Amino acid sequence: MKARLLALVPLLGLAWGQSMALRGEITVWSWDIAAKALEAVVPSFNRLYPNVRVRVVDLGNQQVFDRGLAGCAAGGRNLPDVYSVENNEAEVFWSRFPNCFTDLTTFGANQLRNDFPEFKWTELTMGNRIFAIPWDSGPVVVFYRRDLYQRAGIDPSRIETWDEFIEAGRRMLQVTGGRVRMGTIANGQDDEWFRMLANQNGCFYFNNQGTAVTVNQPGCVRALETIKKLVDAGVVAFGGWNEQIQYFRAGAVASAMFGAWYEGTIRTNAPDQAGNWGVFLMPASQRGGVRAANLGGSALAIPASSRNKEAAWAFVRHALATTEGQITMLREYGLVPSYLPALNDPYVRQPQPYWGNQPIWQLVLGTLGRIPPARGTQYFQEARQILTAVQVDFLAGRYRTAEEALDAAARQISRATGLPIAR
Amino acid sequence: MRTKAPLFFLAPYLFLFGLFWAWPILYSFYLSFLNTRVYPWHLDPGVNWSRLLQDPFFFVALKNTLFILVVQVPLMLVLALLLALALNSALLRLKGFYRFAFFAPVVVGAVAYSAIFRLLFNTEFGAVNAFLQALGHPGYDWLYAPGPAMAVIVIALTWRWTGYNAIILLAGLQSIPRELYEAASLDGASPWQQFWHVTLPGLRPVLLFALVLSIIGTLQLFTEPFLITGGGPGNATMTLGLYLYQQGFRGFNFGYASAIAYTVALLAAGFSFMQMRLWRER
Repeated sequence: MKARLLALVPLLGLAWGQSMALRGEITVWSWDIAAKALEAVVPSFNRLYPNVRVRVVDLGNQQVFDRGLAGCAAGGRNLPDVYSVENNEAEVFWSRFPNCFTDLTTFGANQLRNDFPEFKWTELTMGNRIFAIPWDSGPVVVFYRRDLYQRAGIDPSRIETWDEFIEAGRRMLQVTGGRVRMGTIANGQDDEWFRMLANQNGCFYFNNQGTAVTVNQPGCVRALETIKKLVDAGVVAFGGWNEQIQYFRAGAVASAMFGAWYEGTIRTNAPDQAGNWGVFLMPASQRGGVRAANLGGSALAIPASSRNKEAAWAFVRHALATTEGQITMLREYGLVPSYLPALNDPYVRQPQPYWGNQPIWQLVLGTLGRIPPARGTQYFQEARQILTAVQVDFLAGRYRTAEEALDAAARQISRATGLPIAR
Repeated sequence: MRTKAPLFFLAPYLFLFGLFWAWPILYSFYLSFLNTRVYPWHLDPGVNWSRLLQDPFFFVALKNTLFILVVQVPLMLVLALLLALALNSALLRLKGFYRFAFFAPVVVGAVAYSAIFRLLFNTEFGAVNAFLQALGHPGYDWLYAPGPAMAVIVIALTWRWTGYNAIILLAGLQSIPRELYEAASLDGASPWQQFWHVTLPGLRPVLLFALVLSIIGTLQLFTEPFLITGGGPGNATMTLGLYLYQQGFRGFNFGYASAIAYTVALLAAGFSFMQMRLWRER
């Protein structure tokens, strides 16, 4: 007993001295507002670790991905100490280059498991190994123009199902003489609406083990049917990322549905519409159904080639697994935390002036626990491409039913990936 | 000694050529036989090539690329020829200005010009639809409907490359000896006859050059579909170059991308060879 206590003393001392002992410089690669958000965390990090210099490099999303790929392919050369990766794309790295990144369980990342919602971990772990820590997430909500809804006499709190959403859309068209639609769908360039709706219905391209194609299962079929209904009713416009922004700026659409990170996009692109916007939960496919999904979100990993892994881990932990770090990023840049303890921070309950003083973060973060898990797998990009093409064909009437379209998609995905179609 | 000296001087070049040209070419051939979607990569000779043969996306990309080859390239070359003739005309003033103006699109950054084309063809706010609506036509959903999206790509390519080809053809026109025209006029040949019997035969090598360059350029086509339509809607404007990029650098599947690259290279070689044979002086 005494011996054990004696052994504890140097351990405690070690922990206390460690924050002073960590020193040197670490480089962090990230993109756009995500990079700025990480920079915003540095001051509070340096109060704890004054001897670590953090250099955040904003390379842009594509560059981070491409250079990460090149670095890993070259055996881990020229990589930073902290690497940002999108959840959907993460598994490509782990499965093609499993030795390129540090297994974070060696730093005790296991203890953080319950601090993040389960769906965030699916793409960041392989077997017992944890390759990255969840960062922001993309709980899906509908952003809407209060003034336009009001003019059309639509009460967003009464839109609970997609059928009701379509009904409201018809009303909007009628009142505005067909000029204002309810949203914009990226038909042909992306399939994000399909992914949001499928995720909500508990379905995705692949099962959660990543072992089979599930894209033709009932939840996905219902998702594609809903999209067809929206398009057929004429209540949504088609447009990619840029058009979506142009349309809400011009008031050609009265709402937008996306991961909550879109908050910053609306706020910075339409500052003159402050006070006119609000948020409500995504409609369910049937009354009482799930009104939550996830789209996007990122994570931080530590390349195996980092020469200052301890300092890198201290930074990752401080930025992602403390309320202080996460709330800083939420407040400054609208990055939605996936760290569950941060949900109790008073800031989350604060009304947001741009959003008509609605405490939107409470609503957004409240959905985290209800989001069904979904897994991108290393074949995410290919599956997405196939589904994008199939959706165009389906909406153009080239398949008789959504089921037929998704059966075709499943066959194509299965052929491209070698994974069997689940029964 | 005398025979070895040149080799000695060539050595640095040969070394660099081997390292940065020959080696990648050979290595990507080897890669096309590897399964690069597993760790570690391993030899699986059929995996990429058999996928290529039954991949509907690959065939759509091939079909789109060939469509551009058959429709856009001839259209552009005919326009370029007309333009070159006009620029060469003795009647035209301010030649320097026109030559610059038609050549300028090549100099404009691809990203900037693509962004402008996206704006021009925007469904709700674009100038093209505004113009069509002024004429009483409802306009098209240019970037989100398959046919119109392909039309945008064809228009963009033509806008960008016609002037470039016209300048090449103009150089060819100016290399045709004046005496030939003088002799033809003395013999009483009409301008039309002069065009058929003097200009076109004289231009043959230059036209062939422009054609082969355009064919190779089209087979590698990447920039415009990537920046203007993203290959979409769906796969409507997907080209072989774009599909290669997506497989290699978005999907991390280097083996399959290499197989596509080799197919493109073989096609380019085949088409160019065919053109050379067809156009050979008899």
